[in-house]
Amino acid sequence: MAALLEAKGLNKTYRMGKVLVPALREITFDVKEGEFVAVFGPSGSGKSTLLHLLGGLDRPDEGEVSIDGISFSTLNNNELAEVRLRKIGFVFQFFNLLPRLNALRNVELPLTLADLPEKESIKKAEDMLKLVGLEDRMNHKPSEMSGGEQQRVAMARALINDPKIVLADEPTGNLDTTTGGEIVQLLKRLNKEKKQTFVVVTHDPAIAETADRIIYLKDGLVQRVKERRD
Amino acid sequence: MRLKRIFSMAWENMKQRRLRAFLTTLGVVIGITAIIALASLGEGFRVSITERMEQGFELDVLTLIPGTLFAGMKEPFTDSEVANITKVSNVSAATPVMQIGSVILYNGDKNVTAFVGAAVNFTEFAEEVYPDRFRFEEGAMPEQIKNDTLIIGYKVNHINETEPAFAHPNDTVTMTLTINYTIFRNFNFTVAGTLQKTGTAGLTSFDYWVFIPLETARKIYDTNSSDLIFVKVSNPDFSETVAEEIEALFPPYRLTVLVPLTFIQQVNSILNMVEIFLTSVASIALLVAGIGIMNIMTVSVMERTREIGILKAVGAKSRTILTMFLAEAALIGIVGSLTGVPIGYGLAHVLSYVLSGFVTPQQNHVFQRPEVERAAVTPIFSWEWAIIAVIFGILICILFGLYPARKAAKLDPVEALRYE
Repeated sequence: MAALLEAKGLNKTYRMGKVLVPALREITFDVKEGEFVAVFGPSGSGKSTLLHLLGGLDRPDEGEVSIDGISFSTLNNNELAEVRLRKIGFVFQFFNLLPRLNALRNVELPLTLADLPEKESIKKAEDMLKLVGLEDRMNHKPSEMSGGEQQRVAMARALINDPKIVLADEPTGNLDTTTGGEIVQLLKRLNKEKKQTFVVVTHDPAIAETADRIIYLKDGLVQRVKERRD
Repeated sequence: MRLKRIFSMAWENMKQRRLRAFLTTLGVVIGITAIIALASLGEGFRVSITERMEQGFELDVLTLIPGTLFAGMKEPFTDSEVANITKVSNVSAATPVMQIGSVILYNGDKNVTAFVGAAVNFTEFAEEVYPDRFRFEEGAMPEQIKNDTLIIGYKVNHINETEPAFAHPNDTVTMTLTINYTIFRNFNFTVAGTLQKTGTAGLTSFDYWVFIPLETARKIYDTNSSDLIFVKVSNPDFSETVAEEIEALFPPYRLTVLVPLTFIQQVNSILNMVEIFLTSVASIALLVAGIGIMNIMTVSVMERTREIGILKAVGAKSRTILTMFLAEAALIGIVGSLTGVPIGYGLAHVLSYVLSGFVTPQQNHVFQRPEVERAAVTPIFSWEWAIIAVIFGILICILFGLYPARKAAKLDPVEALRYE
């Protein structure tokens, strides 16, 4: 089966004043359609940077990322935004919902950006909120919802455009164990039922354990890769 | 993203920050109010001045004066010169007028001074050149003009409104004329009629005039010439070409043609400039409002950095972000300008009312212009100015919103997401 996402020889260095800090070194791996991949490592290991590169939010100094056969290096910023809109869903540690919009409008946002007619986009957003179990919280603003609920809204938003891949950055990092567990269950369920591809960056062993594959990252280097065998 | 959705989102955003949106919009309202108030006052001012001038200058009558202001050569006109002018195309009448200076009239024990004594060919002057001006209060134009026919202007006959008129038709009035600057001689005239108010502020007020027949004056002064020629044009639009053709008939410096239309056009263009100057001063207020918008929006972009990061992560293009912020600026402009226009027009009325309080009513002396009772100017609403002001207001807002909006659009998504 062809790889959905390919990362080849990714290097990224940050400049902190006069010091150059290498964040990622020679990262190469790929993700197949329907896979659930965990990138596991301590904080500062370059996990988030990797996720930003995979999601086209940032560009590598060297190396190449491609999704669905589209190579990011050939795209300008606007085209990259278009790829993020159509092919990628993001879930963040701090939920990153728009504070002034209610759950429904937050979930609908990518469809609005994609110029879908309002009637249709609202219907889709409602269905998606039902899928993540928030049918009775649609008109609540983020400030009126619990962390777990906000993260579900964020997941609904990530999934609304039917993305090829969902990139999650510490999705349970800001939640208690029980709520975090529920979110992991939801991720797994979507992976199984909808064959949704996930790359989840985490330092939470509970998520890592459920993944099809774990990529161990330390100091910007891939330490080892562990495949799960059922 | 569709513009309609962008605008509805911008509107929602503004509603969330009511006070801020209100204060920013207020700046625009004040700017537009100032512009519209001054423009409609200026427009009213211009229209009332133009109206008065059009009353004062009969637009289709040219006045010819012998010689020029600086070159001299002020020999009076001959009758053959008058005849030549009559032949110019689009001239419907040309009539000679003799000035007999100011004269003193006696009627029994009453006497009055008329500032302008004019000797005219009554038929031509009253019926062909000024048919609308010669309206009689008493009496009428005699069918047979006699040597002693006299017509008296309103203000000469009524120096004081409360007292009885100086003369009535068929009264015999003695007129003292000055001949060769030194000799005073008395002549008796019979009043044929007294005129109604011509009521003007300009050149052709006949209120202070008395008229006698041209032939009588020519006999008294022993001359065949005339001091002025009044030329009636078939249409005011031709007045300038007719003036040029008349000038071409004569050697240089022979005469000066006064074209009322030219005066009005010049005054109009000056008033236009004043109006534009006033409104540009008012535009400074709008400029200040624009800077306010830039200031607030820059703060707003900083506050919403993270939001912008989220939008970009979700897939918003830079252009979409730019348009979102410009839409907010444009909304401020639209709301502010549309509110400012009616307020400005209202303010113009208030200002005109207040200003009229400073003008003291004139005493009823000889030089009073009868139609000027109140110096207040009625503001005039001009759609032209309203549309210009609204477009200008919106443009200023967008222009000053451009910098913060570009700043927002250029934000790096990763850094914006990290922003606390």
